[in-house]
Amino acid sequence: MASRILAVEDDTRIRAVIRLALEEEGYDVIEADSAEEALELFATSDPDVVLVDLMLPGRNGFDLCRDLRRSSDVPIIMVTARNDTHDVVAGLEAGADDYVVKPFVVKELAARIRSSLRRSRRTEGGNERLVFGDLDIRPDAGVVLMGENEVSLTKTEFRLLCELAQHAGMVLSREQLLERVWNYDYFGDTRVVDAHIRRLRTKVERDPSEPEHIVTVRGLGYRMQT
Amino acid sequence: MTETPAPARGFGRGLRFRVTFAFALSGLLVATVIAAVTDTFASRYVVRQREDTATQQAYLDARLVRDELAGSDRTPSDALGALELPSGTDVVLFHEGQWFASGLATSEESLPIELRERVLAGEPLHQRFRTRGEPVIATGIPIPSVDARFFEIVSLEELERTLGIIRATLLGAAITTTLGAALLGLWVGRRVLRPVGEVSRAAVSIAEGDLDTRLDPGSDPDLAQLANAFNAMVDALQARIERDARFAADVSHELRSPITTLAASAEMMQSRRADLPERSQMALDLLVEEVRRFQDVVEELLELGRIDAGVEPLEPEPVVLGELLLQAVTRRHGELSSSIELGMDVSTAPLLVDKRRLQRVLANLFENAESHGGGVVAVTARREDGRAYIVVDDAGPGIPDADRTKVFERFYRGSASGRRGSASGSGLGLALVAEHLAAMGGSVAITDRPGGGARVVVEIPWRAP
Repeated sequence: MASRILAVEDDTRIRAVIRLALEEEGYDVIEADSAEEALELFATSDPDVVLVDLMLPGRNGFDLCRDLRRSSDVPIIMVTARNDTHDVVAGLEAGADDYVVKPFVVKELAARIRSSLRRSRRTEGGNERLVFGDLDIRPDAGVVLMGENEVSLTKTEFRLLCELAQHAGMVLSREQLLERVWNYDYFGDTRVVDAHIRRLRTKVERDPSEPEHIVTVRGLGYRMQT
Repeated sequence: MTETPAPARGFGRGLRFRVTFAFALSGLLVATVIAAVTDTFASRYVVRQREDTATQQAYLDARLVRDELAGSDRTPSDALGALELPSGTDVVLFHEGQWFASGLATSEESLPIELRERVLAGEPLHQRFRTRGEPVIATGIPIPSVDARFFEIVSLEELERTLGIIRATLLGAAITTTLGAALLGLWVGRRVLRPVGEVSRAAVSIAEGDLDTRLDPGSDPDLAQLANAFNAMVDALQARIERDARFAADVSHELRSPITTLAASAEMMQSRRADLPERSQMALDLLVEEVRRFQDVVEELLELGRIDAGVEPLEPEPVVLGELLLQAVTRRHGELSSSIELGMDVSTAPLLVDKRRLQRVLANLFENAESHGGGVVAVTARREDGRAYIVVDDAGPGIPDADRTKVFERFYRGSASGRRGSASGSGLGLALVAEHLAAMGGSVAITDRPGGGARVVVEIPWRAP
């Protein structure tokens, strides 16, 4: 079955070209021209990936990301003006998993969507359990427990945590994480990793400012403490 | 930009120095005049005082000697012995053609001849002079009633010492006054120049991009005028920069939407290129190429605009330079077609650098080498004197001396522009290289590659993470 993409974009022509391009790639595309419409469509059509233009009239893309995140772990790819530093970071903080810059290359957009969809799948690792103190990670079941409670992670956060946990004790550079979790090459935006680590820490660390599990190794990257 | 504080400081020091100097000079003048006048009057008074005392004492002593000599069986020596002379005082007596002295060290020879002659002639007199290196005052009194001449020599050593102390005190006071005046001048200068310092600090902070900097008008109406004028200027500047930034943002948004549609549509058509008739294919190729060029120019212009507006902060992160170069080269060519030579440091130690900017720099340099220089033939990197050097060599015709700085200007197309690929080159790529590097505290220069071709040398500060 074709994966379903919800494209939220107020410019009719861009929406049309996105539909053309993604249908060409074999996706099922549904369109929304505002955050409000997007929320309605999201509830009824259960898309696999949401594409959000940050510059929306009315409720903007940041608000939409936050609204979606409240109830869903769906991969969100934001569309931003190129190198608009502030927007990229703010969008990631609002819950986006990844971004493409406008004007985008269709192939790049398709690659981002493919990478998001790949993250959505559970990893095949048998009945592996990775335990770090109070943190209990079950990659095959897609479940993370903190003590007795299940932690709600997005798919990207989950993949990132698994990547770190499966290499516990090893330092993974931002570039390595970008490549393994997001399928970026070396020149991917490392702020994507940093933003996700920050978000992940608020969920799996007792004190996110004093992380016990995911520690920063200055100048090198991140490491899962064994 | 970082050099702006220097002239401001220099200016402050100059003016402050002049104020301090003027105060010190006035202090010195006043102190000298007061000291000179005080010294003159004080020493004249003290000396006269001492002379009067000496004369009075001499007359008392002379009277005593006269009374002694008037006695029947008294010799001049007895008379002298009867005197109770304080230390430093000596007496010489001439009696009946003979000289007598109160001490061994003293004789009539101690007296100046003129004084001796005149007193012997019957004239009372006193005179100051030096004997055996000692200042003295001698008072000569004729005592005709007993046919004697009485001379009393009093040492003025103590007076000299007193005068010396007075002079030393005055000198000390003069020096203190001068220094005090200099300090006062320094303080006044600093106080008066404080607004200048504040203005220059504010200007520097504004130049560094903090447009919210304002001066506090304070309570002094003279300074408030300066502060208000300055603040009004910054307000106007800020409004203008914000208007420009808004305009750039609007332009960029308005341009991006159609370019997005255009580029994506063209890209899709290209994937179906084979289905089109030959002439349509040619038209499509033109369309795709021009859309790409248009897109590049717009992006580069917007990038330059962002650099000019200073809205794009540096985002340094730890980067292993060797790895970044390898990735940049392989990304471009798929494999290593050019030789890469890396110094020991650059392939292991990380440095703090804005990775995306450096990547833009390298991409533009490689792009340029490919369009105009026959492709990159070698990339080398090394660390030297706290800086990282990246050298990109191409196999092209090289760049004439005259063009070597001009190629980094915006829209410069070179004297040999005919050779340039018609499809590429907005004339902004190298300008962006220079601007990005300047923002990163680095620089770029072009030289000859030994054996032909151009050599681009990029230099950035090596900051350890």
